[in-house]
Amino acid sequence: MRIGDVDSLATHGTSALHAAAPAAKLVAFALILAAVVVGNNVLVLLAILLVLTTLAAGTGLPLRRMLPLAAYSGVLAAFFAFAIAPGWLGAALIIGKAITAAFAAVTLLFTTPYPFVFAPIQRFLPVILGDALFMTYRSLFLMIDRFDQVLTAARLRAGLVGANPLRSAGVVTRSLAGMLLYSVDLSQRTYDVMRLRGYDGRLSVHIPRSQRPVLSGALILGALAIFAASVAWRLSWHRLNPYSWLPVLAAFIALTIVAALAGIRKARA
Amino acid sequence: MSHIHIPDGVLPWWLVVLGWLLTIAGVALATRQARLRQLHRRVPLVGAVAALMLVGMSSEIVPIAYHINLTVVAGILLGPWLSIVTALVVNAFLGLIGHGGVTVIGLNTVVIAVEMVLGWLLFGLLRRLFGRQRASWAAGVATLGSLALSTALLVGIVAIGGPAAASRESGALDPATLRFSNPFSGGVVTNVIVAPEKAEPAPRLSVARFAVVVSVLGSLGWLIEALVTGTIIGFVARVRPSLIFEGGAVDLSMARDVGHGSHH
Repeated sequence: MRIGDVDSLATHGTSALHAAAPAAKLVAFALILAAVVVGNNVLVLLAILLVLTTLAAGTGLPLRRMLPLAAYSGVLAAFFAFAIAPGWLGAALIIGKAITAAFAAVTLLFTTPYPFVFAPIQRFLPVILGDALFMTYRSLFLMIDRFDQVLTAARLRAGLVGANPLRSAGVVTRSLAGMLLYSVDLSQRTYDVMRLRGYDGRLSVHIPRSQRPVLSGALILGALAIFAASVAWRLSWHRLNPYSWLPVLAAFIALTIVAALAGIRKARA
Repeated sequence: MSHIHIPDGVLPWWLVVLGWLLTIAGVALATRQARLRQLHRRVPLVGAVAALMLVGMSSEIVPIAYHINLTVVAGILLGPWLSIVTALVVNAFLGLIGHGGVTVIGLNTVVIAVEMVLGWLLFGLLRRLFGRQRASWAAGVATLGSLALSTALLVGIVAIGGPAAASRESGALDPATLRFSNPFSGGVVTNVIVAPEKAEPAPRLSVARFAVVVSVLGSLGWLIEALVTGTIIGFVARVRPSLIFEGGAVDLSMARDVGHGSHH
């Protein structure tokens, strides 16, 4: 995954979700996450995933890039599920929780730049932790670029070849060692520049006002409804489990309609 | 083990809350110590090292599909207090890209912080034993030790919280209760797939199997991580020894000067 590409999309994207308030998206994300935590029904989790997919498809987010990211967490969870789950349905539940929560996180990540995600919670964090989050964000892209350059240079000199994994591992390791020294120099330069610019121990980020307050409210209400449904299934599973197929069917129909509309729009364009 | 790839909502809530409480306590202690020791000016280094860890975690060693974590390298470089802060920062970023759950960030921070602090501690002890010339060996052995202990911690966490997850009592849809009914007619339109629910004991998570899988696959990871950490620390020890031998308490400006001096 290229974190730089994701950040670029989050910063320059123009979808409706990009216009919603970051705080509203954070609250909605927290509610979806709570729904996933509370939910213990595979079909209800599938329905939540389909609803999120419908939202992403309807607002024109790049599903082809989002789904593999969410699926990656499913692969990691599959290892855990394989090792520990008591049966196939238990394993499906663990993997379903991982993919659904990851898709919610990825949706947030694709529509909200990291600093806007951290800014609302920064005021509650110790200064050193809040600043470290921002400094990591800043350093990450510099590191990624630098590491890409180093690996490209190694590849051009035939230092990275699939046929010789031991040699490749050695090259990657030595590249990381060089990166470590680079990171120390970078941090020193960064601190010097920050001091020159008047840094006194607290970085702050300005969050722009939301252009779509109604959408922000709707987002929270929708997430609240999903959370309520998940809680209802958890509490009254004896009564509701036989009807678990209903939310899946409803979400699938919604996704089909949204996909058809998107197809028509694309064909016209 | 570095971090647990356990999704949200699998471990019991009290264990998740306990993880967060431990993390909050650890970060509170670390920030207090950082203030007392005037470590605030090293925040950019925390950012750079956390970013390096994230880069390491995103670069797989082909073809064994293992990603390195650099936790012990970071621990040696940052020292114990900043390591705790870095562990939380790294986990916050990982959680947002779906690499491990968001609610388990607290537990993950505990595991990573223990690994980093243990790595720093073991390296400090072992480098006296091995001597400066064999810093890479000290780092490699320290990595093996800290990874083995953090993996034991991970298995312990799962063992403590295991039986609560995926049980039928908590509403899991399991084959014994799986049926499709029509809510509008008031009757069953599709047959019950399996016999109606009987009182059966809740299925338990297989902690023993988990421990075996983690230990077998994990030991390969420990070895790779130890080799990588040893190589990196050996390289830095040759190029900028003060960064390594000051044990995470070095003045960066001084380190750079000394490093350049020794290099020339």
